[in-house]
Formats: sequence, C-alpha cells, structure tokens
Amino acid sequence: MHSDLNIAGTQSTPAIQSDWSAGRLAMQGDSYPENSYELFGQVIDWVDAYLADGPAPLRLDLTLVYLNTSSVKAMMDIFDLLEDAHERGQDVAVDWRYDPRNERIAELAEEFREDCSFPFVIAPTQAPT
Amino acid sequence: MNLLAMRESYLQQRIMLCFNGPISRSLIEEIGNALRNYMANQETALSSAMDVFAIYIEMTQNIRHYAGLQGYDETQATATIAVARDDGAHYLISAGNLVEWADGERLVESIEALAGLDKAELKRAYKQQLRQPREAEASSGAGLGILDMARKSSRPLQTSLERLPDGRGFFSLTATV
Repeated sequence: MHSDLNIAGTQSTPAIQSDWSAGRLAMQGDSYPENSYELFGQVIDWVDAYLADGPAPLRLDLTLVYLNTSSVKAMMDIFDLLEDAHERGQDVAVDWRYDPRNERIAELAEEFREDCSFPFVIAPTQAPT
Repeated sequence: MNLLAMRESYLQQRIMLCFNGPISRSLIEEIGNALRNYMANQETALSSAMDVFAIYIEMTQNIRHYAGLQGYDETQATATIAVARDDGAHYLISAGNLVEWADGERLVESIEALAGLDKAELKRAYKQQLRQPREAEASSGAGLGILDMARKSSRPLQTSLERLPDGRGFFSLTATV
C-alpha cells in the first residue's frame, strides 16, 4: 500500500487524486507551472510504484484542459510508464474527456495516443461546462 | 508622461494588452487570465483563444527561464509583451527581452531555420525534441516551447535582434494566430 495523492488545483496546476486500492489516478484542470516536475515528480513516482506493486489494473481519468510544454513532457513520461507496463502484459487504460468546444485539447490527447498501444479513449464530455 | 498619446498609439496598433517590466510567476498568471477573459468577451473561437494563451505562456516562461539561467537581477529580468489584433482576424502575440548578444544570434538563426518547415516537419521536430533528455532541453537553441509556438502560429515566427548600448541584445519574437 502506497500513500495516495490528493492535491488541490490552482490557477496553473491541475487537481490530482489517486486511489491505490481502486487503481485509479485522476487529474483535472489547467497545467502550466514553470517547473512541471516539481508537481508531476510525485505523480510519476506514484504511477511507478503502482505499476510495480499495485493490486489491480490502472486507469487514468483525465479532464486536463491546457498543458504547457513542460507539462506535456511530464505527461509523456507518465504515458511511457504505462506503455512499458502494457508491453509487460499489465492492464492499463487512459480515458481523456474534453470540452467539445475546445478541439485543441483533443488534438493534444491524440498526439499522446499516437505513441501508445494500450486502450486510450478520447471523448467529448456530454454537457459542455 | 503623456498617457493620452500612449492610449492613442495602442488603439492605432490595435494593442489589446501590453506589459513592460519585471515579470514574476504570478504576473504571468494574472496577465494570462486577463487575456483569456478578454478573448472570451470578444467571442474568439475557443481554439484560437487557447492558441494565443499557449503562445503567451511559452513566450513568458521562456523569458523567465532564460533570465534565471543568466542570473539576471530584477532590472534585467524584464519582459515587454504585447497582444494585438492585425487588420484582419488574426492575433499577434509579441514578447521581447534582454539577451546576451551571442545567445540572441543563435536564437534568431534557429527560429529562422524553422520557417522553411511545413506542419508535418514541425510536428516531427517537436516530437523529437520532446524525447530529448530534460538536461539537453535547456541548452538547445530551438527548445520545445519555440517549436510549440511555431506549430500554433499561422505564419512563420518573426524575430528581431537589436544591439543595446551595453553590448547586449534586445530579442523580440512575434507569433500570429
């Protein structure tokens, strides 16, 4: 058992919650801190630990809206960990929901998905916020 | 100080937002917020508003990052930022800052080299840069931020480099959305 993350969002950083027993990691909001690894370092560590010792499949629920390039790089590191786990036969999946008025985030998610072979859903939210 | 003349100059150049001075992390956020609100009120398409905001963030964070690496003090770590509309439906996002002359020359050269790349080539360069180790990013001329701006800009990025009296340069960059 690893301790869970429960980080409140700010104007420039996303809200982040993890649930070790359920195998779930969720992030919502904008992400444009100057140094994304100060924030994402702990998320990368949690994902790494979960993929090594976690009890169940891992599912990422994302409703990220805007990512600066520093955050894009950190997210790529997370998806790379999932990809490695998938290649070892582990059950991992990403579900990325976006506001249908904001096609940029769908394009960004699509570019991440190009480098992933595990299940990666990109879908508009039902009711625009 | 003639504020009316400043106002008229801004209006004439369709500048909707500008800033000159020491740029802090929180100022970047606050100005960015104002920019987003302004564009929401202008009924700008959300995807264009996101592109303008993204370019603004990469420009200003690059400037702060560079000033930090150089160890510039508060008077040197300043930025000049302007967001304007052109006479058509485009937004112009510009930012300028103090640079060491040789760094400015390298930057201009690497950005000019991107002008000949099409969308697919820019994407390839971006993905390649994304895969570079983190330490390599800082030293490279056209970093991830520059490539991201080049991809979002509808025209090639425009640069200029002018010599300042102390021998340093004033580098400026303009993107178009």
